Formats: sequence, C-alpha cells, structure tokens
Amino acid sequence: MATSTPDTLEKGSKGDVTSSHNRRWALGFLIAAIITYLFYAFVVPNLGAAGKTFVSTWIPAVATNEALVWVICAVGLNIVVGYAGLLDLGFVAFWAIGGYTAGWIMSTFIQAVNPGFYLASAAYPDQPGIHLNWWLVLIIAACLCAFAGVLIGAPTLRLKSDYLALVTLAFGEIIPQVFLNADKFTNGARGIAPLDNVSPLPFGPSAISIGDVKIPISQPLGPFDTSAKFLLFAIVAAFAIFVSLRIREGRLGRAWLAIREDELAASMMGVPLMRTKLAAYAVGAFMGGMGGVVYAIHTNSVFPDRFTFSISILLLAMIVLGGMGNVWGVMIGALGLAWFNSTGLPQFGFWFNGQFGTAINFPSYSFLILGAILVLMMLFRREGLFPETRTRQILREAERSDAEELDGGEA
Amino acid sequence: MRNSIKIGAVAITGALALAACGSSSGGGSGSSSAPAGKTVVIGTDLPLQGSSKDSSDATNQAIQLYLDQIGNKVGDYTIQLKQYDDSTAAAGKWDQGQCTKNATDHVANTNEIAVMGTYNSGCAKIIVPILNQDPTGPMLMVSQANTNPGLTKTWDPGEPQKYYPTGKRNYARVVTTDDNQGRAAAQFMAKDLMVKKCYILNDNETYGLGVATAFATEAPKDGITILGNEAWDAKQPNYTALFQKIKGMGADCVYLAGIFDNNGGQLIKDKVAVLGDNTAVKLMGPDGFTGYPELNKLPEGQGMYLSFPGLTNDDLRAQGGAAAKLLDAYKAKYGADPATSYALYGVAAVQVILQALQQSDGTRVGVNNAVFSGAGITIPADVSAIGKELKIDPATGDVNLLDMTIEVIKGNAETTLKGWPITG
Repeated sequence: MATSTPDTLEKGSKGDVTSSHNRRWALGFLIAAIITYLFYAFVVPNLGAAGKTFVSTWIPAVATNEALVWVICAVGLNIVVGYAGLLDLGFVAFWAIGGYTAGWIMSTFIQAVNPGFYLASAAYPDQPGIHLNWWLVLIIAACLCAFAGVLIGAPTLRLKSDYLALVTLAFGEIIPQVFLNADKFTNGARGIAPLDNVSPLPFGPSAISIGDVKIPISQPLGPFDTSAKFLLFAIVAAFAIFVSLRIREGRLGRAWLAIREDELAASMMGVPLMRTKLAAYAVGAFMGGMGGVVYAIHTNSVFPDRFTFSISILLLAMIVLGGMGNVWGVMIGALGLAWFNSTGLPQFGFWFNGQFGTAINFPSYSFLILGAILVLMMLFRREGLFPETRTRQILREAERSDAEELDGGEA
Repeated sequence: MRNSIKIGAVAITGALALAACGSSSGGGSGSSSAPAGKTVVIGTDLPLQGSSKDSSDATNQAIQLYLDQIGNKVGDYTIQLKQYDDSTAAAGKWDQGQCTKNATDHVANTNEIAVMGTYNSGCAKIIVPILNQDPTGPMLMVSQANTNPGLTKTWDPGEPQKYYPTGKRNYARVVTTDDNQGRAAAQFMAKDLMVKKCYILNDNETYGLGVATAFATEAPKDGITILGNEAWDAKQPNYTALFQKIKGMGADCVYLAGIFDNNGGQLIKDKVAVLGDNTAVKLMGPDGFTGYPELNKLPEGQGMYLSFPGLTNDDLRAQGGAAAKLLDAYKAKYGADPATSYALYGVAAVQVILQALQQSDGTRVGVNNAVFSGAGITIPADVSAIGKELKIDPATGDVNLLDMTIEVIKGNAETTLKGWPITG
C-alpha cells in the first residue's frame, strides 16, 4: 500500500520489464568484466612494446583494480545519498573501518596471538597474529560497518538535510582521528603493513593453466597477480551492484525513494522512517566496509593518512557526476573519476607538457577541474550523466503547481 | 528534488574548497632524452602534490642537475631519470593506492634498474615488499628521507623482516634514522645543558613518535628523568593547561618531538608563557622544527635548541667540495637554494645507485647485489653530494653517516652550535 506511491511515477515500466532491464545490465557487467580480464591477462602480455607502454601509461591494470574499489564504495554511498536522499559527508569512515578490520584479522598485527591463528588463509605459515580467509574478513568487516552505520544513523534520525550532513561530516572526521590516535590498537601513523596474501579460493588446485597463462585458484596472490585480483574485486563489485539493484526494486528500495522524494508524504503513507533510514545507512556502510577490505588487499596496507575528508567529497562527486540514484551511472562516474584522479590527469599532464614544452603541474588543478565540471553539470545537466529515469522526469519537468502534481499522479 | 541540487552544491563547494588548497604551477618536467646506447632508467618516487611538493620538486631538480653535470653517463650507461608521483590531488599528500601503482610500474618498466625514494616512510613500507618480490629482482630502492627505523632495523614487532618477503634486502637509505636523532638530543641535553627532568611532547605522527621514543629510551641512561611522554593535539587553540601540568611536575626541560607545522608556534608561545623563557626551562626540538623562518623570528623561539640529522644546506656549503659546487650550480639555475636540505641527499641516493650500477652487470639483481654483498657501496668524500665519505652497510642498508648538527635559535636565525657525534 504505502510503497506503491512512488511507483505511480513509473507508470509504463512494469516490474518484469525493469527486472529484465536489470538482467540485461547484469549480463553487460559480466561481459565487460570478462573482456577486461581477458584483455589484461591474455592480450596485454602479447602486445608489442609500444602497446604495452600505452596500456601501462594510460590504463594500467593496478589503476583499474583501484577504480573497482571506488566503484564498490560509490555504489554503497549511492544507497544513502542517491536512494534515500540522506546527504552523507563522512563515508570515508566506513572505508577506514573496513580497512582496519582487514588490518587486524588478516596480518601479523595482533602479536599477542602467538602462535598465530590461521583459518583457510593463504598467509605465510608460522607467524603470530590472526590470519582469516579474506572472504570471511570481507563479511566480518562489512557486518561491522553495517553496525557502525546504524550507530551513526541512530542519532541523525531526528535531523534533516544540513544538520544531517554536519553529523555525518563529524563522524567522517572522528573515525580516522580515532584510528590515528589509538596507537595501541591501530599502530597510529605507522599503519599496518604488510597484510596477508590472499588466494581466490581456500581450496582446490593451486592454479589452472590456459596456454601460457596460469589462473591462480588456491595459490597465494603476489603483488604482480593484478589480473587475478581484478577478478576478485570485480566479483565484490558485482555483488554490491546486484544487491543495490535488487533492493531498489523491492519494498525497502521503494520506501527509500519515497523518503527521498518527500519524507513527510512517505511517513503519512505509512513508511516507517526510522527503520527505513537506518537500513539505508546499514546497507551503504556494508558496502563501504567491503570496499575498505578490498582496498586494504589492493594496497597490502592500512594507513590513517589516507582517510581524509576529500575522499568523501570525491565519492560524492562520483555519484553526482554519474547520476544520483542510478547504479550504472554511479559506476561509470566512479570509474571515470578514479581514473582521472590516479592516472588520467597526471598522464595527460605529461603528454601535454611533452607536446607543448610547458611545465604545468596538471594534477594540482584536479579539484579545480572537477569543481568546474560539477558547476557546468549543475547548470546544464543537473541529473548527472546517466540519470535515473524518475530523476530525469522530475528534474526535466517545469515548475509544477499542486494541480499539475495531482494531474501527473493520476495520468 | 531540492535534495539532489543541495547535494550537488555541497559536492561543488567541497571540490572548490579543496582546489583552493592545491593549485600551484611548475614542476613535473619529463625525463630528458638520451642518445642511443645502453640506456637505463632511474625512477624517483616522490609526492609531487600537496604540502611536500616544493621539497620534492627541489629534489628532482637537484638530481637532474647532477645527472646533467655528469653528462647523463656513467661508464657505458646512459642514465635517464623518470619521475613518479606517489601523491594524488584527492589525498593532498602521499596516497597508498598511488604507492601500490608506482611499485608495480617500477617493476613493469623493464629499463628501470632502481628507485630513488620515497619521501614518506609509510609509502616505503608499501613499495619495498613489492620491489622485493620482483621476479627479475629484487629491485633496489634507496631513500633520501625515510627516517623510520623499522624499515631497516628491529623496531616494531616483525620489523624489518616483514618488508622483505624473499629474505633478501633491497632497501638502503642515505639519512640516519629517528632513533639516532632522539638519542643525540638526549645526550646533548644531559651533557651540555645539564638538565635533570624532561617532559616530552610528541605530535603523534610516525616521525614524532619515533623521535620521542628514542629520546625517552636514551635519556634515563644519561641521568635525565622522563616526567611524561604525551601527544599534543595540533588542532587545539592553546596549550596553557598542558604546560601548567608540566610546571607542577617541576620539569627543567621540554622536548618537542614532532614538526613545527602541527601548531608548533602556539605550543612554543604557551611554553614560554607558562614555564618562562628558554634559558630557564630548556626547549629542544628535532629537525621537524628546522627551516622555518617564522619560528626563527618568533620572540618565544629564541634560545630553542634544534637537531638536524645530517647537514643543512648552509653546513654543506660551508664544508666546500662537491656539495658546495652542486648547491652553487643549483642556485645559479633556479635562483635559490633547494627548498629542502634533503635535495642533496636525493643526489647522494642517486650516487649510491650509480655506483652500484658500475659495480654490477647492469641487471636489477646485479645492482641490488652490489649494495648488499661484499663491501657494499662507498662514495668517496671528494665526489659525494653531501661532502663526506658515504658508506652503505651491506647487512642493513643503513648509512654510516651519523652526522647530527645541534643548532640554537639566536638573533632571529638558526645558528649552528656544534656537531654531535653519536655514541652508545
């Protein structure tokens, strides 16, 4: 009953149509991921020197892996900001909690556990510390973050918009400071490094050979197994995307959208505000936690320096740029901005300086460029590059009077 | 839908606010082209954005200048410099992800024989294990500025072995470590200043904590009682209460283990306001307090003692020889001395790599073995960029130079008081 309200806007797109739409996208993601994997695992090693240089300069495999971390976190933030319309400026906190969870139970950090505790782990044997299998770590960290999400969500329930943003901002500032200062529990600024090696699966043959290429199964992944790590990260990203797409279709997702459109109306129609909002924080934080673990595995370390406010802002920019609420738009926004941040702009700078003999430090202008892009977008394409259908409908409509609103609802 | 506009607006203001912190021009020039022959690449891995930018640019410039002076050639090898940036604009400083990416890039760039860097010890902790596992290596890295002891010596649990998964060493440095600096400061305060009770304040960063720990370990051996070792919070508006507490304990010296950037000015002002000037209760800091004109001009800073691991640009120039020549050439080309005393140490790190290259077969393993086997690497005093004979210990990768300079702020300037040979 209550949740049917927002659906009136989407007349014509019946449930089964949307889910087949989703299936098509899922297939698309699968194909894109496999092509990317095959490209890095099979095509790049056989390219000539020029081709290899091009790939390693412009689209290095490591940067692709890191971009997937951004995708996971952005998709998580999209649930809070894009679906439920709750502005969250402290998402980096969940990234940090996820990362530190990995640091605690996937390394030699806890020296008190000696001899070490191993559980289906690919870590080096006979070390102190807790060494769990990384899939377990992923689940534990995600659940811990979901819990933290509820904790931070609880005091914000009575707050709206700006005030809510302030509380989340505070949370995002506090958590990294705690990690920096709780020296005994986090090693402070010295960070935790290195972490355990991970393997795709805790059992099975050590690797499968296809031609010259070995696909690792239970063997530990070293720092140069980037394409195998890509597969793992892509699976986690796919899970995050799948979950957010499916939830959106369900009762909870529609309740989120209802709150986003009009909180008062939603509550009048019987949407339980408290539970629904908390669920948004929990699910979003769950994915942030997964992102944190994946990032810790990617960099093989956890340092508090990384978890700054600007990371939260960049994540938010990814969502706004990609199209708030639309998972695919957000994913493309995340991939694009992650590439821009780590590789695109510096390499463009090198190319530009080499071409024109200038000495401009392009990366130092990155936020200026980003800000300009966002300003232009707000002027000309407020809904983002790949907006949700309903967002587009709302934003593209002329200012509506109450009568028109009613009319639109009925027609 | 007002919400989405609001969110967009926040993202914009956020991005613009961050942009205001970051933009400046210059730097980032590519590698110079080299004629055909056996060309090898040396990578420099430094944070080229954010607060360390000027220092990193100066280091890259000094190294390029040195390579130009030797004609970009060593023996049969033509040397090319390739700059890597381990910072991102989003982080505003060194970035874990970027360090990981650079590490695999170093390994993937087959012409690259060794890495000069990093500036931040944290970044080294990420890169060194990856270079260590290079299938064609281990690949050598020589740092000009990492002072965290754990990278080469037994320090925290598992250190340093955990950075060398293959069991072979591949990391060396040309600066001495934080523990030596804290040790020198404690010895100097006990023997020359005759203090008895010290209170340590640290800024809770890797560097500050390392120095503080070393000071706290050494001081009791020299007869100093440590009253406390506590972090100061850089974000606090004043520290009066903190110093009242220290006053109550009867301290006759305060050691500031950290960097001046972390609100050090306020800290020193409040120290003098509560404990009196620096002749009554002595004040000392590590090199994190050197090189700040605003500190030197601070009335409350007068009489503060400072230590510097190694030699400052001024010392290097006064010492004469290769270092002074390089500094003069730098000044002639860029109009000022390098923004950091670490710039010449960067050149020294490159000298170590070049020397290793000459003593090797030109492969990565060869270069690394040249440093970590036999007698190791020695750079004679007459060519060394820091004007003194420089030896790398083949067992640990640490340098033999335990130069420590004690300075005092006097007449609005840092003046060298004496050298301090480290003992014990």
